[in-house]
Amino acid sequence: MANSVLAESNPRAPESIQNVTIVSAEQLIEQLLKNPNLIIIDSRKKSEYLKGHIEGAINILNTRLKRPDLERISPDKSKAILFYCNGARCLRSSDSINKAKSWGYENLIWFRGGWKEWEEKRLPVITQ
Amino acid sequence: MKIESLSIKSLTIYVFIMIGIIAIVLSLLAGGYFKRAALDAQINSLSRVIEVSSHEMLKQLRVFTFDLGMKLTHSEELIYEVKMAISTGEQENLIGLLDDPFINGFVGFSDIDLKKIRIYDLQLTLLAESTSHRDNINKKLPLYIINDMKQRGASERLRAYDALWMSEEGPLFSTLVPLGGLRPVGYLEIVINPLLNLPDIGKITKTPVRIYSLDGKQINTNNEEITDGHLPVEFVLHASNGEPAFRIVGYENIDELNREMENTLVLTISGFLILSLATLAFALWMFSRFMFTPVRKMIKDMEKITHGKLELTVSSKGLREFNILADAFNLMTSQVKMRTNDLQRLLDLDDSGLMCFDRDNDVVYFNEGATRLFGYAADEVIDLDIADLFNDDIASLMSKHKSADEKQDNLNVTLNCKHKNGEQFQREAVINAVNVMGRIGYAVALNMTQKDEQTSTAQSDQRLKAVEQTLSNLLAVANDNSGVLSSSSVPELSKLGGPLQAKDKSSIREQVVKLMNIALTCWERDLGKTKLELAEESSLWPVYIDKSTPTTRTLDKYLNIDLCPKNPRSQRAIDTAEFVLHKAGKNDAVKSNELKEVLNAFRELISGIKISK
Repeated sequence: MANSVLAESNPRAPESIQNVTIVSAEQLIEQLLKNPNLIIIDSRKKSEYLKGHIEGAINILNTRLKRPDLERISPDKSKAILFYCNGARCLRSSDSINKAKSWGYENLIWFRGGWKEWEEKRLPVITQ
Repeated sequence: MKIESLSIKSLTIYVFIMIGIIAIVLSLLAGGYFKRAALDAQINSLSRVIEVSSHEMLKQLRVFTFDLGMKLTHSEELIYEVKMAISTGEQENLIGLLDDPFINGFVGFSDIDLKKIRIYDLQLTLLAESTSHRDNINKKLPLYIINDMKQRGASERLRAYDALWMSEEGPLFSTLVPLGGLRPVGYLEIVINPLLNLPDIGKITKTPVRIYSLDGKQINTNNEEITDGHLPVEFVLHASNGEPAFRIVGYENIDELNREMENTLVLTISGFLILSLATLAFALWMFSRFMFTPVRKMIKDMEKITHGKLELTVSSKGLREFNILADAFNLMTSQVKMRTNDLQRLLDLDDSGLMCFDRDNDVVYFNEGATRLFGYAADEVIDLDIADLFNDDIASLMSKHKSADEKQDNLNVTLNCKHKNGEQFQREAVINAVNVMGRIGYAVALNMTQKDEQTSTAQSDQRLKAVEQTLSNLLAVANDNSGVLSSSSVPELSKLGGPLQAKDKSSIREQVVKLMNIALTCWERDLGKTKLELAEESSLWPVYIDKSTPTTRTLDKYLNIDLCPKNPRSQRAIDTAEFVLHKAGKNDAVKSNELKEVLNAFRELISGIKISK
């Protein structure tokens, strides 16, 4: 009971974001295999990133994500960019996506399950 | 055991005792079953805990092997050597890299028992394996693992695969991870022996744990001590293909559980028994209140009525069945009373002298005709026996008659009779042997008139036989109701006939004789008077005239134990003693005191308060 109340009070990432494609871990791998140049942005803290992250991911905390930085990484606003954070209970990647969306990026992909799903499925990770 | 000797109360108590015993046995059995069930539940529970702990332990192993695998699979050097091995077949550098963790160690080295690191190509063909470990482990992956891996889709193949499998050396744990990250060039297998980690199950279950191989040999332990209070609980850990791999035995300390169960058991059984016994006690009280007490009272009343107190009635207050029984008995009693009265009235009205003697020749019945014929008052009859009334020995007459004519029950004879005043006369009589209170006695019917006055001897005999038959009927009733005859004819028979036992009667006779002798001694010494004067002054004892000489025949009988009646009139003896004490005053204190003591003892004896030894 207490847990459910706690769960209700904890923030949850939105179920969807308009004009943003949501993918699972398997779909992410397929996208990666199809498009090796897919930009992956890890919106978590650096410490979390260093413990383990998806191969090729760039770590930019949502609060530090600035337009010039993103434009430097992907000047082409039609290019696919994938965001992820800790999972459905983390709001960082959705926040980053909203920012990117407001800056005019059109092909945004959201791995909503995030690191939690990736780790649970025991997919390859990069650790420092 | 005869059913007649069993009372309702005894039977009910037996039944209740049986129920009580059954309740105790059942509660003990239930207690034992409860304990067994609790232990079984505990065993099942611990078995589940061990199972969960085993899987938790394997999960931890997966973390270790996955981390190690991930560290190695992103090594560019290793990926390069793998590619070289695939393209050129050169394995030496690759094997060197695989042996490196065994030589240099790695983070978490002490946490797992690393056996092998092996490299496969994408078709799961073995390319190379570490050589540092000498264990003879199969060169090939088990077929079911290969099949599982090959059945996976493109993206699923990137997921790590874990398996507990059976090697020739025993169960091993492997984790296969794609080599080269998201674009794999092969697979890397981390092979460990899980035996090192299995005792960690005990850390989760917080119990001693012993690991056994399937052949029953203990192969590892968490070194926690096992005592007698520990209950072994087994769990079989299966390999990924379902084959049994390890027998894990956890030991649950059941001392505390037993203690708690004992307390619960004692409480439960005590509660159950108290409740059962209280219910039984209440049921017994109900039975006592509504069955035993009314039945006891009814039996008491019935016994009194049976012993002649026909004026009493059985209380009909009680349960319906008892009410019906009491009413039926009361109706029957009143009918018996009516019948008896009718018979007695008939016999009293008859123009014959009728009497009945018991086996001891004492008078049992004496009708009004007989008292008129012999000149005795009704209350004097009790002291009489055959010898006081007849000069003939009736017993020997009957005995001779029986031996002479077995078919003829009645004896027609002329008896020589003795009147109270000593006068002698003859009368025709019919004598018959009858049942008096269950013993042989004699009924005598006497013609009231002289033989020569008879008009017809045959007619007279016929009438006497009819009267004698009526007396026999009355005796038959009296035989079952011992006090019936007493009401008009022999007043004290009822007091002594029924409830008193032979021993009591004998004791009363002895005490009567003793009391009378002391009273007479006291009378003679203190007042200097004679026995005849005692009889005359007290008016308690009849004075007879035998050949012009006054005698105290009845008083004499009470002074001699051999002559004393079987059922002596105790009240007359008490009255005599009190008369003597009253007359003697305090002149002879010693004798008076003795008389008082004997009188008190006799009163206690007949009242039943104290029984003399």
